[in-house]
Amino acid sequence: MDLRSINRRLSARFGGAVRASFSKGCVVLAGRLDTWAETVEACQMAAKKNSAVHVVNDIVCAEVQASPQSMRLPSLRDGALEGRRPDVLIIGGGISGASIARELSKWKLDILLVEKEADLALQASGRNDGEVHPGVDLSKGSKKHFYIRKGNAMYDQVCRELDVPFRRVGQYVCFDKGWLRPFIALYCLWRRKHDGIEDTRIISGAELKRREPNLNRDFKFAVSNPSSGCVCPYGLTIAYGENAVQNGAQVSLNTAVLSMEVEDGEIKSVHTNRGTVYPALVINAAGVFAEDVAQMAGDRFFSIHPRRGTNSILDKKAGARFSSIASVMERARSRGHSKGGGVLHTVHGNLLAGPDAVETFEKENVATRPQSIDTVFAKQEKTMPALNRGDIITYFTGVRAPTFEEDFIIEMGRSTKNIIHCAGIQSPGLTTAPAVALDIEKMAVEELRKKKTVEPNESYSPIRHGIPVLREMPDEERAELIRKNPDYGVIVCRCEEVSRGEILDALRSPICVPTVDGVKKRVRPGMGRCQGGFCSPLVAQIIAEFLNVPLDQVKKSAPEANITFGRTK
Amino acid sequence: MSELVCIVCPRGCTLKVEREGDTFHVTGNGCKRGEAFAVSEQTAPMRTLCTTVRTVFPGVPVLPVKLSAEIPRDQIFPVMEAVNAVTLEKPVAMGGVILENVLGLGADVVAASGLLAE
Amino acid sequence: MRTYDVTVIGGGPAGLAAALSARENGAKTLLIEREARLGGILKQCIHDGFGLVRFQEKLTGPEYAQRFIERLRGTDIDTSTLTFVTRLERTQAGFAVTVVNRDGVETIQTRTLVLATGCRERTAKQVSIHGTRPAGVFTAGTAQHFTNLLGQLPTRRCVILGSGDIGLIMARRLTLEGAKVLGVYEAKPTPSGLTRNIHQCLHDYDIPLYLSHTVTRVLGEDRLTAVEVAQVDDKMRPIPGTEETVECDGLILSVGLIPENELAQSLGAELDPKTKGPVCDGQLMTSVDGVFSCGNALHVNDLVDYVSESGELAGRAAARYAAAPRREVELRASPALLCAVPQRLDLNRDNSKTTLYFRSREVLGPCALHLRLNGEAVFSKRYLFLRPPEMERLDLDFSQFELDEGSKLELDIEVMGHE
Repeated sequence: MDLRSINRRLSARFGGAVRASFSKGCVVLAGRLDTWAETVEACQMAAKKNSAVHVVNDIVCAEVQASPQSMRLPSLRDGALEGRRPDVLIIGGGISGASIARELSKWKLDILLVEKEADLALQASGRNDGEVHPGVDLSKGSKKHFYIRKGNAMYDQVCRELDVPFRRVGQYVCFDKGWLRPFIALYCLWRRKHDGIEDTRIISGAELKRREPNLNRDFKFAVSNPSSGCVCPYGLTIAYGENAVQNGAQVSLNTAVLSMEVEDGEIKSVHTNRGTVYPALVINAAGVFAEDVAQMAGDRFFSIHPRRGTNSILDKKAGARFSSIASVMERARSRGHSKGGGVLHTVHGNLLAGPDAVETFEKENVATRPQSIDTVFAKQEKTMPALNRGDIITYFTGVRAPTFEEDFIIEMGRSTKNIIHCAGIQSPGLTTAPAVALDIEKMAVEELRKKKTVEPNESYSPIRHGIPVLREMPDEERAELIRKNPDYGVIVCRCEEVSRGEILDALRSPICVPTVDGVKKRVRPGMGRCQGGFCSPLVAQIIAEFLNVPLDQVKKSAPEANITFGRTK
Repeated sequence: MSELVCIVCPRGCTLKVEREGDTFHVTGNGCKRGEAFAVSEQTAPMRTLCTTVRTVFPGVPVLPVKLSAEIPRDQIFPVMEAVNAVTLEKPVAMGGVILENVLGLGADVVAASGLLAE
Repeated sequence: MRTYDVTVIGGGPAGLAAALSARENGAKTLLIEREARLGGILKQCIHDGFGLVRFQEKLTGPEYAQRFIERLRGTDIDTSTLTFVTRLERTQAGFAVTVVNRDGVETIQTRTLVLATGCRERTAKQVSIHGTRPAGVFTAGTAQHFTNLLGQLPTRRCVILGSGDIGLIMARRLTLEGAKVLGVYEAKPTPSGLTRNIHQCLHDYDIPLYLSHTVTRVLGEDRLTAVEVAQVDDKMRPIPGTEETVECDGLILSVGLIPENELAQSLGAELDPKTKGPVCDGQLMTSVDGVFSCGNALHVNDLVDYVSESGELAGRAAARYAAAPRREVELRASPALLCAVPQRLDLNRDNSKTTLYFRSREVLGPCALHLRLNGEAVFSKRYLFLRPPEMERLDLDFSQFELDEGSKLELDIEVMGHE
């Protein structure tokens, strides 16, 4: 699409309010619009799907001006990192940053990963459905497609190495109109032969009923992809991070990048709330803030338009009625760039429903809204009529970080030399992460070799041992562990059957996050149907004992998240 | 005439009280205790107090306590203050007196738990 | 392998009573408790009012529990604390109970089981509260644990959602400890807790009660900073435009209790959607032969006295249990009742003194409870009033009626005209 036709269309839709121009290889939109919805619409009009020519959004939006957004920063201020000169500075502790850190730790390099939140995977990586996608909705030509099969195939090995539960449960995209079957059969053939999504098959309604009797009985057939699986997304991110740390990388939490000094197309220094660091190479894995980081680096050639999605977690009793991943294909596909959510049996045995997809300019607003639950259930009740809101135990919202081209950006900086962008990561970014990390590792090593020799890290081990999960063990194995450590026999969280020993293991793990939420993410106390009603005071007590601090010093998550206000008397 | 809910037992009868000079006529009560309660509510409402007292024992940071008798309702916060000024340094058995005749109200603050005696 | 006649799971008031009663009826008895100390939730219920029916005394929760714990000490009942049941399986001789504790994993053989597993609290997400996820949102029981057992103040300025008894008790308790309770919000048009608690916990301390109101949203990133409240319509949906923001650092939830029956379900026990406890007969035996239910796992009680009573009944029945074919008749509860226990009678057992528990669906003035047999009232009892928060109890001799498996038994409530 050339500039003239873009501007013709913009002008037809918005009068003269917005104009596109071509600058430094990007389509830059400028002007003024009232609402964020219009802003997104204008940018989407100018964007070409999967193109490497990106839309940069410079539109002044009145709605955004009315509630200006700034990145939430940790309150911590110290000089812990002052003067550090890492070979690689990774910005962002989501699945991308953590997996890159782990792959790079194969090399004798000084790796520093900074994350502004109090734990890894607190944003999009911890707030998605955990599906390992087959790529059945992806066409050749995009980076998403380029990485999806590689990433998907790597999951068995990666999860084995990192001791993270992963199950290939299979995905069904279901259809209630039988007459569509010949067309969908052709589509499947195309996906197999042309796009290489080799496991794509059609199964009959009868077969679907046999496999998943609680799905809608009216489904006539489904597209099946047995390679699809589920994983705990934050569990995997933390495991990657821990393995990186075991191999010598440093992870600094509560650390936000505030600004950078760039000279002659090279990042010289990076200011954080914990001091200034002088990295040889920067990796931008900052999620919704990837555009902001690119801007700091003088290398902004894309824009992110955040997209919010909410998932509900249902009781394990509901989880027991279903064992895979399913969604209903509706004819009128929404403009949203999501297959519209589905139902999924999580790796922990719960049922998950969602997500929806809503454009937003608020990058960090993860507050949930009732409308999201309504939207998800209205749709997923068609997938699974037995879906019951009464089984909901919790819900959460995440914000995706797409570009307007809706594809990943995995490349060296365009104007700045010593930066690699891993940006625009959205679904299926969890699936592709293992493969993307390998490529970024190569790019980084190649770049660093221009400056120094890079040797393999001889003590590198890809193996990380997770915390034992006693509830899943045979009695004899469990008894043996309890014999060695009686704390494994003291159940603290009754819903998820988590022992005191496992909680102490979490506190002694390589990336210690001694908060109620940090422990919850690692060993699951409070994840069950009572949502920590019984165990949260007990977990807080164990943390207080471990840290040797008064109980009121134990936090839920961030340093400001007080649980209690001290002694009553 | 005034209406109130009896709190003597869980039945929660709705009591109606009519005053004639110094005498009260109570209706709606399921038992005698209701009548007495209604009269005392009109003249001098009495309440009990259950709270905790601080201890020096790390496993039992606070110990449940109660009053041996009811006190005037408006004395509850002053008694709370008196209880909060105490720190138990020695184990006490259930029923053991912690504050005798608190604020001269004729009621003792007693331990309502045997936790420290175990 | 250790073997028992009766194994009681849960060492709260129901389980304590069940174990004592099973032992008194000659059974070799085991009591399993997952916490370090017996007493269950009574340990943190330091307010008084317990035991009025049983002891004609106003006891605090710990005092009430202590009376049973002391009786237990005088018996040869085996007690395993800090012991968690991970699995129940049926065996030829009854059931295999697998437990974990500091000593390892053990499987115990028992002829019968009494499930006294209590209940859990409904959470914020289960009542559709949206917004952020800050610290400072507690169920009333969790706030009670922090305040009464750990001596920690969970809030300085809070809103309470739900007028259940624990919420009301905590409103008073937090006020006594110096916190400001801004109000109790109740989505229903009538209070959920006992009337006496409205009086002595709210009125005495000038804490406002807002009926037909709910909390819709939680605000604050790290610690709660405010909640949004709104009026609700008669279907309990928030009315747009009535939202108000209340600044506070705590939200305490008292929005209902859910009987914990995961173990019962693992054995295939049928649950009553009304009580959320197992469907039981007059001996409190569930649909699984040899498995009995009592206390708050059976149905949510408002008086501990009845919890103990059902424990005693279940314990005795478990001790005396002998396998026999069932001959059951359903005891239906009409829509005028919120729920009733038992839901069935086994005509092969003694039903001469059957204890009925029920709640009305609505607040009612003068009314009568009728027991109808094949449409005809065979028993009636008049009440001055019935309130859903207050569970009613009565003993009835069912052996006086001519019952067979085809009998249609129904409990119903008739509202009387004004006198």
